Amino acid sequence: MSKKVIIVGGGVAGMQAALSLKGQGIDSVIVEKSDRLGGKLCDWHKLFPTFTPASEVLGPLKEAVERAGVEVRTGAEAERIAPDSVLLKSGERLSADAVVVCSGFDLFDARIKEEYGYGIYDNVYTTADIERMMNEGAVALPGGHAPRRIAFLHCVGSRDEKVGQRHCSRVCCITGVKQAMEMKTLFPQCEVYNFYMDIRMFGPGYEELYRQAQEEYNIHFVRGRISEASPTFDGRLQIKAEDTLVGRPLKMSVDMLVLIIGMRAGESNGRFAQCPGVGCASNGFLAPADLFSGSVLSPVEGVFYAGTVTAPKNVGESMSEGAYAALRVAEYLGARS
Amino acid sequence: MNFYDGFIIPFVVGCAVLFTVVLYKYVRWFVRLPAADKRLVRRNFFSMQTLRGIGEVFSECLLHRRIFRVNPLLGYMHMSLAFGWFLLIVVGWIETIAYLGGRLVPIHGHVFFKYFSTSLPHHPVWGIDFSSVMDALLLFVLSGVLLAWFKRLRSRAMGLRRTTKHTLGDRVALSALWFVFPLRLLAESLTSAIFHNGGFLTGAIGDALAAAMPLRTLSTLESSAWWLYSCALGVFFVSMPFSRYMHIFTEVPLIFLRRWGIRSGEKPKSFDHFQLEACSRCGICIDPCQLQRDAGFNNVQSVYFIRDRRYNMLRPEVADNCLMCGRCEQRCPVGLDLNTLRLNSRSRLHDTPSDRRYDYTAGIDRSSGTGKTGYFAGCMTLLSPKILRAMERIFNASGEEVWWADREGGVCCGRPLKLAGETNAATRMMRYNEELFRRHGITTLVTSCPICLRVFREDYRLEGIEVLHHSEYILRLAKAGRLQIEPGEELFTYHDPCELGRGCGIYEEPRELIRCAGKLVEPAETREEALCCGSSVANTALNDLGQQRIARSVGASLGETGADAIVTACPLCKKAIARGTDRPVYDLAEVVERHLA
Repeated sequence: MSKKVIIVGGGVAGMQAALSLKGQGIDSVIVEKSDRLGGKLCDWHKLFPTFTPASEVLGPLKEAVERAGVEVRTGAEAERIAPDSVLLKSGERLSADAVVVCSGFDLFDARIKEEYGYGIYDNVYTTADIERMMNEGAVALPGGHAPRRIAFLHCVGSRDEKVGQRHCSRVCCITGVKQAMEMKTLFPQCEVYNFYMDIRMFGPGYEELYRQAQEEYNIHFVRGRISEASPTFDGRLQIKAEDTLVGRPLKMSVDMLVLIIGMRAGESNGRFAQCPGVGCASNGFLAPADLFSGSVLSPVEGVFYAGTVTAPKNVGESMSEGAYAALRVAEYLGARS
Repeated sequence: MNFYDGFIIPFVVGCAVLFTVVLYKYVRWFVRLPAADKRLVRRNFFSMQTLRGIGEVFSECLLHRRIFRVNPLLGYMHMSLAFGWFLLIVVGWIETIAYLGGRLVPIHGHVFFKYFSTSLPHHPVWGIDFSSVMDALLLFVLSGVLLAWFKRLRSRAMGLRRTTKHTLGDRVALSALWFVFPLRLLAESLTSAIFHNGGFLTGAIGDALAAAMPLRTLSTLESSAWWLYSCALGVFFVSMPFSRYMHIFTEVPLIFLRRWGIRSGEKPKSFDHFQLEACSRCGICIDPCQLQRDAGFNNVQSVYFIRDRRYNMLRPEVADNCLMCGRCEQRCPVGLDLNTLRLNSRSRLHDTPSDRRYDYTAGIDRSSGTGKTGYFAGCMTLLSPKILRAMERIFNASGEEVWWADREGGVCCGRPLKLAGETNAATRMMRYNEELFRRHGITTLVTSCPICLRVFREDYRLEGIEVLHHSEYILRLAKAGRLQIEPGEELFTYHDPCELGRGCGIYEEPRELIRCAGKLVEPAETREEALCCGSSVANTALNDLGQQRIARSVGASLGETGADAIVTACPLCKKAIARGTDRPVYDLAEVVERHLA
């Protein structure tokens, strides 16, 4: 009898896990809550640090999944998980020999930081809005004219105790640098400022991109967080911040304020953690068995993790984890048969 | 009749120490009162306040009326001990007078009267059977002692989830007190066993004892029992002025001084001693404290703060770790100004004036607009632009011309600094804002922040300017017909901000406005008993995790009402509660704005 694995979530980690399982002769079913595969990457325009279009990563992956004949159930949201089954919201129970949770993360809701005025003032955007607008082909102000000055604010919903997000989301620093460069390319006359508290360039080519942004793109990096934003009479925004390197408060009028939002733990993690043995870390992400050799294992036999369900990760890391989880699943099933 | 026996010595020595120390303390504190306080005493000594004070002494020091409100059984326990003991003393004196007429009786005469009066004929005087009256009173006190023992085992049954952790000195005094009355019962019963002069209680026990043992044993036991009784009293009296039992006497001068108008202030002064030593460490303040219930702090509550300050061992970790929500003050049976005491402790610990720190405020004026009505947003409203926008629309809808004091940034109202104990710096901010308000000639000052409101009302000199919270102001607009609020079907619950409710006594206006816009349902703990959001600016020691724990507990309590949305009237509460609930949280102004016709 052939073994069946259920993969919860059809983002890059889930798709890669399904492909790698197929390579080992194991069938899997992807359970995806939205109506399409690809997860959040579908809404992204270009990827850091190479400006590779997201479609160039996503397209081949989707085709491979289709070619491999992996069963995909879209519009199916997992409610509960167990080592031997997944209960869907619809009430249907799918039985399984192993479960791989690849349900990913949620974007931080910028409206929670009310002082920045997201959802209140017209000219406040998030990094997700910028990607969407670029996908739609036009970044423009509500009036239609080009921005003359843009401010990016790092760490919105990351490393912020006040909103219960103590962790670093890792990828937003480089996203902010990437988008700043994209804005500068779109609007060469525009001044671009990035307000940060630390710049964390952890990946290959990231630090180089950060230098390039300063040296070639003339993007200004100001160490200090913006404290609040308020509208001006001419429809722009006034931001208040402190330049902590100079030690002075500053005020600035900008046409656009872009909030670089962080990754927060997936809303479904709490439900999955009701499976005995499965648990969340203090930041809400699911806690793996250990952080070294067991990074894709849950504390429960038969339940595996891949991608950002356990911590913020970039696309490459998530895909690697998908493949690694498939390997551990194959070992687990082999040992059981 | 001779009133001397060796065993009276512990009692007499105890009494002498007690009265010497208490008198020394009171004279010292009184002499050190500031001249203004002494003037108040002189002015109000011969007034109705003194008479009212006598009434309050009777109802609070003896009957403990306020404790009855917390829990009837707890109230009875305190009353039986205080009032019962008081009656034992008073009736004891009357008894000696009844038997001996005007003869001078030493202080211990009535206490040990049963022992010394064996030579007197045992029959009612003035038609009163004093032995039985005294027995009844003793029984009354003993019932309180029994309850005190019971409280050790099952404090919950008496309305206290947690009780005070006592110091060694308190334990000694407490143990002595517990033994005083059972030993009195035993000593009097033994005397009655020999001389048959007891009432219904001591007489009955005495007869039983007489039947059980020979006379020799009885008389040995009798002598020992009187010695033990006197020792228990002596130990209690000596420890009294140094332990929590100092409250028994100190509440009396406190009540009168308070009646005459003396209050604690933002700087420590001699009157504080009367407050500190009037605390009985009953522990009623522990249960309402959310730092204890939700954040796991067991050593910062008012009872411990007062104790630490009294014994000069107050640490900043204790003084600073308080939300100053006023929930304990609300319950305190002695009516101590717990927040003011906490505040002036902080002022002693932190107030290091730096003359140049706020020089930058000189000459700054970023206000805009003209109008007789001024609006002061305050820093927390500026960080909650939805409230600011709602206020702007409300002003527009009512056609009010507004002077915006700080929309483009202004100087802090000063209350956060004051609460942190930096009173001198706070005063500089206050004087700056007062001058700003006067310069622009406003007659009404509206603020949407209860923290600002409280300091405007309590510490600012704003004669001629009416200070209003936005709840009062908006309701006034609505009643004057300048604002049409359309009713809706939404079910709201309301969170009373500490500074607005217990701080400024504003409970009704926000509720009335909410009822204009929808339906209102009250949480379990509301109005004077309302919970604190946990993010109070008064607490400079609590970390974010502690604040969130309190917020979640408040969010859960508000959520239990089943309301669609939570409404509050403070930008800080709004931000804090939003972190502890998944229901929407609105400021009152936002609700009104959404229902504008």
